[in-house]
Amino acid sequence: MGKAAKVRLETCFVFLMFVLGVIITVTSWGYGFGSLRRPGPGLYPVFIGVMICIFTLFILVSTLKTKSSKPVLDGQGVKKLVFMAATFCLWIAAMPLLGYVVVTFLATYAFCKIMALEGWWKPLAVSGGTTLFIYLLFDYWLYVDFPRGLLG
Amino acid sequence: MEGFGLLYNGFVNSLTMVNLFACFIGALIGTIVGVLPGLGPTATMALMLPFTLTYGATTGLIMMTGVWYGAMYGGSTTSILVNIPGEAASVVTCLDGYQMSKKGRAGAALALVAVGSFIAGTLGIIGLQFFAPFLGNAALSFGPPEFLSFMILAFVLLSNLSGDAPLKGALMIAFGLFLSSIGINPMDSYPRFTFGSDTLMQGIDFLPIAMGLFGISEILNIALQTYVKPEVNKIRLKELYPNRAEIKRSVAPTLRGSILGFFVGLLPGPCTVISTFVSYSLEKRMSKKPEEFGHGAVEGVVAPESANNSAVMGSMIPLLTLGIPFAAPSAIMLAGLRMHNVEPGPMLFTNNPDVFWTFIAAMYLGNIMLLILNLPLVGLFGKIAVIRPQILMPVISLICLVGVYSVRNSFFDVWVMIAAGVVGFFLLKWKYPIAPFIIGVVLGPTTENSLRQTLMTFKGDLSLIFNRRLSVTLLALAVAFLAYKFLSPYFGKKFALKVEPNDKL
Repeated sequence: MGKAAKVRLETCFVFLMFVLGVIITVTSWGYGFGSLRRPGPGLYPVFIGVMICIFTLFILVSTLKTKSSKPVLDGQGVKKLVFMAATFCLWIAAMPLLGYVVVTFLATYAFCKIMALEGWWKPLAVSGGTTLFIYLLFDYWLYVDFPRGLLG
Repeated sequence: MEGFGLLYNGFVNSLTMVNLFACFIGALIGTIVGVLPGLGPTATMALMLPFTLTYGATTGLIMMTGVWYGAMYGGSTTSILVNIPGEAASVVTCLDGYQMSKKGRAGAALALVAVGSFIAGTLGIIGLQFFAPFLGNAALSFGPPEFLSFMILAFVLLSNLSGDAPLKGALMIAFGLFLSSIGINPMDSYPRFTFGSDTLMQGIDFLPIAMGLFGISEILNIALQTYVKPEVNKIRLKELYPNRAEIKRSVAPTLRGSILGFFVGLLPGPCTVISTFVSYSLEKRMSKKPEEFGHGAVEGVVAPESANNSAVMGSMIPLLTLGIPFAAPSAIMLAGLRMHNVEPGPMLFTNNPDVFWTFIAAMYLGNIMLLILNLPLVGLFGKIAVIRPQILMPVISLICLVGVYSVRNSFFDVWVMIAAGVVGFFLLKWKYPIAPFIIGVVLGPTTENSLRQTLMTFKGDLSLIFNRRLSVTLLALAVAFLAYKFLSPYFGKKFALKVEPNDKL
């Protein structure tokens, strides 16, 4: 990700926060501002929304002025981040179908490979150990009710 | 004398197998977390919250505090041995600690730090034991206007003392306050920002946000860094004896660091980190040989390490007496106590005195445990420091996922954690402080209640606040601080207490 992209990404974030501030203010007003004597449910979030708008406006101005020298992520970093986030998401999505034992094992293996743990037996050992640890701690000891899935 | 009777009861309560075990586990895990670069005490405490649910509030509090100050103990190990701070509060220790290590005095440095941390921890507990009930009683007279003013002052200080840009800190607080307002408002049972979702009616739970911001974001950060294997100096038990000159030079800095750290702990923000910087500069100014600092001065190692341990205890005071956390780890503790239906604050000493006194007694025991753990096992902790992130991070990732799910059996919470983690990763990169965010989330409901109750009490006439001396004083302090902050550049002064925990020295 280049310098321009970095600036754009942070600026986009601050701009989105500004939009969020506006949405919070408008939506909260709809809940009923009440009065200072009899505050309604919208009074407090209206204040918060206005504060978010003010702060983001100032930050937006300073972000546009600032020239950053370091990119947040390079191409390889973006790829790694996407794979990591996807593994987190797949753990949730596949859990009801495959059950927690299988998805935990597979997710740990995936994380090991994304983080470039070399070979196949080391990732397998880490995955097996993690799954066993989670089974013993959460299932056997703390009685957490996990989805068992088709294989459960 | 009543205090000693209560403390005696606290010792009786804490000397149960469960509490002793919780204390030991907390201290051990805290030390390991302190040793390991990356995962800090806040994320670990959030991670451990689900485990505390099986036991009582006191056991949970003991375990989490054990993690926090265990991390302070352990953080110094990697700073001294490998020049890598285990957590932010040990960054300063690298300066002289690693230099001592290069001179072959690593064992002495570690021993002095362990003993210094023990003394500081003990002095901090004594301070907490005497100040907290006194302040708790004083806080009984606080009404909603006082709480509101106190929170405004805390938010002003917090946004200014965290990170490099006060506006970013303020934005983070505001965003945290907004997140806490999602769901049914308990004051008038009105659903806000739920958009018809039943899940959002209950609000967004604190735990997944904390785990995402402090755990997942850090995992992503470490995963995207290039790993360089550190070289660890081997330490033998017989090398742990400091010489007479080193002992003599470390006595006064330990005591100064302990006292200074305790009072810095009362400030909002990353108090443990700030205490180390302030303590280091104080020692350098007081030293007859300031040129030795940065080249292995023992004062530069023991003073900051003592300060961060007593700062932990100092920061427990606003949490336990007012129910207002000033730092991210104490925000986690507040959330943990609430999960056990214990509300810290002025009433804690009336409604749950056993929680407070058992906690105090367990801290004394925990401090001794940490000293016993840290001295003989320093070689082992040094080895833990070199576990590769390729092995460690997948394991921690899965524990985070399963840990968050296990609290409410909710996949929604896991989604929230992942989203918070990804957002937190970018916030870290753009230097937005995360602690104010999480404190905003925790203090949101109290802030709203205080605001609305104040307005209703004053019947909308805010000028009546001038009749409340304490409120006016607190608000005046906030205004004075802001005025100083804005005007100081015009008078050629810079505010010194600005700390960026992620900065490398």
